[in-house]
Amino acid sequence: MQAIIESINWSIVAPFIVIQGILMIVAILDWAKADDFRGARWLWFFIIVILNTIGPIIYFIFGRRR
Amino acid sequence: MQWMTLFNKEMMENWRNKKWIWVPLVLILLAILDPISNYYLPQIIEAVGGLPDGAIINLPEFAPADVVMMSLSQLSSLGVLVIVLMAMGTIASERKSGVSELILVKPVSYRNYITAKWAALLALVWAALFVGLLASWYYTNILYGDLSFKSFLLIFIFYGLWLTFVISIVIFYNTLVKTPGLVAFLSILTIMGMSIVTQIFGHIIEWSPNNLSSYIYEMVIAGEVSSDLVATSVVAIALSLILLIASIFTFKAKELAG
Amino acid sequence: MTLLTVNNLAKTYDGKTAVNNISFEFEYEKCIALIGPNGAGKTTILRTLAGLLKPSEGTIRISDVASNDDVRKYIGYLPQYPVFHPWMTGMEFLVYSGQLAFLSKKEAKNRAEVLLEKVGIADARNMRIGKYSGGMKQRLGIAQAIIHKPKLLILDEPVSSLDPIGRREVLTLMEELKKEMSILFSTHILTDADEVSDALLLLHQGNIVESGSMAMLRQKYQTSTIALEFESDLPSYQAKVNALESVSGSHVERNVLQVNATDIAIARQEILAVAAKENWELVNFKLNRASLEDMFMKVVNS
Repeated sequence: MQAIIESINWSIVAPFIVIQGILMIVAILDWAKADDFRGARWLWFFIIVILNTIGPIIYFIFGRRR
Repeated sequence: MQWMTLFNKEMMENWRNKKWIWVPLVLILLAILDPISNYYLPQIIEAVGGLPDGAIINLPEFAPADVVMMSLSQLSSLGVLVIVLMAMGTIASERKSGVSELILVKPVSYRNYITAKWAALLALVWAALFVGLLASWYYTNILYGDLSFKSFLLIFIFYGLWLTFVISIVIFYNTLVKTPGLVAFLSILTIMGMSIVTQIFGHIIEWSPNNLSSYIYEMVIAGEVSSDLVATSVVAIALSLILLIASIFTFKAKELAG
Repeated sequence: MTLLTVNNLAKTYDGKTAVNNISFEFEYEKCIALIGPNGAGKTTILRTLAGLLKPSEGTIRISDVASNDDVRKYIGYLPQYPVFHPWMTGMEFLVYSGQLAFLSKKEAKNRAEVLLEKVGIADARNMRIGKYSGGMKQRLGIAQAIIHKPKLLILDEPVSSLDPIGRREVLTLMEELKKEMSILFSTHILTDADEVSDALLLLHQGNIVESGSMAMLRQKYQTSTIALEFESDLPSYQAKVNALESVSGSHVERNVLQVNATDIAIARQEILAVAAKENWELVNFKLNRASLEDMFMKVVNS
C-alpha cells in the first residue's frame, strides 16, 4: 500500500482534488449567504459536504429557488 | 442598445448565481477524470487486491487521440446533462415566476430577448469548454504524449459546435413549455433520440451533429480536417440557427401571461 | 382629446368568455377605475391592453401612435403581484427596465434615483429585491411602470394588498401621477375608486354594465335619503313627514326616521321649513348620499 501511494505522482492528482475542494467551498459560501432554499437548509449543507463533487453540482442546480 | 442590456443582465445573473464559477470547474473535472484515472489504472487494480496469480493484465497503451475521446465522451454524457440542467430555466422559470410579465410589457423585442439569452449561455459554455479541454490537453501532454496546441484549438472549436447545438435545443424547448424540468426532459430526450437515429441510419445520416465527436477523433489521428467534419459542422450550425429562429417564432406566437 | 380607443374587445380562453365585447374611450390625463367583483374580467382587460394577451376580437388603439409602432413604449404596467429578479437591487432593476424602454444608461439612472425617492424606497435602493417586503415591492412596481414616462399607466389592484398606511400613500401617489399621465386601474374596493378616479367602468361577468363620470353616476343612481331624529313621539312626526308633498315614503330604523324622496333637494327645503314653523323637536338632520357600494349593487342586480 505504502508503495502504491508513493508511486502516485501527487502533482498530477492534486489539481483534481483542489478543484473538487474549490467547488465545495464555493457551494458552502453560497449556501451560507442564501435564504431561499428549496427544502431544508441543513439538508443542503450535508448534500454539499457528503456527496463529493455531485453534491455541490446538485446544490447549484436545484438548491435555490430563484 | 437593448440587446446589450439584455445580454449584460444575463451575464450578471450567471455571475451572481455562480454559474461562471461552477460550470467551468465541473467541465474541467469531467475532462480530466478519465485521463488521470486511466493513467493510474494499474495502481488502482493493484490497490484493490491485484489480479489472481497467473493472470496477465494487458492494459492498452493510449494514444493522445484516445485520451481526447475519453474527455469528449465524458463531456458528451455527464457534461451535456449538466449543461442542459444548468440552462433549463433560462426562459421557462422567468415565465413561470412571472418576472417576464414585467420585462415583456416593456418594448422588448422578442428576438433580442431570446438571442441575448442564447448568446450569454454560449459565452458561458464555450468558456467552460475552453478551460476543460485545456486541462485535458495539459494532462494528455504530460501523461500520454504530444498533442499539438493547434489540435487542441480545433477540438475546442468543433466540439463547441456540438454544445452550441445542445444549447439551441434547450432554448427552443424553453420557449415551448414553461416548466424547467420538462425543458430538461425534452432536451435530453431529443439528444438521445437523435443519437439512436444517427446510429441506426448511420450510413444515410453521415452529417448528424451527433457524429461530431467521431469526426474529431479521426481528425486528431489523421492530423487534418476532413470534409465530413466540415460538412457536419455546417449542419450543426444550420440546425442551431433554425432552432433559434423557431424559438423566436414560438415565443412570438405565445401569450406571455398565459 | 382621446388617448385610448377600445373597440369591441373580446377575449376567450378555452371556449370560456372572460371579456365580452367591450368598447370604451379614454381621455388624456384622466384616471379611470375598472370596478368589478373578482372574476369579472378586470385583469384580462388590463393584460390585453398591456399587450400580454392577444385580443380574440376587437381592436385597441392609442392616439398618436402609428399602427406599426410598438404600443408598449407608451404603456406602463403593474401586475397585481409583481415579481422581480430577487438577485437584483431595486436600483439595478429600475435601470434595467429603463434601458429596456430605450433610455440611455445615464437617463435611466437619473430617472431611477428620482423615482426611488418619489415612491419612498430610496433607502433600500441597494438592497436585494429578494429582501423587500410586499409593500416595498409594490412601490418598486409602480416605479418600474413609470420609468419611461408612459402616456398610459395600467395598474392591476394597486392597493388591495397593502396595509392602510401603504394604501394611503399609494393613493396619494396616484393623485400626483394623474397630472402627468392617464391612469387606468382596477379595484374591487369601491372607496379607493371613489377617491382618485374621474370616471368608472363597472364590470360584471365580462361586460361593462355601466360607465361614466363619478358625478354622472351619482346623479343617475341617486338613492339618497334624509335621516331624522326626534326627541320623542316619532310616530306622529312620521305621519307629518309623510304628509309632505315631496316625500315618497319613510320607515323607522332604530329610532331614526329614514325619509325617501323623489327630489331630495326639494324634500330638504320642505322638511326644514315645516320643522321651523311648527317648532319640531328635531335632534338630528342628516342627508345620506348614495355610496358606490349601493350603486354597484343596484347596477349588478338590475
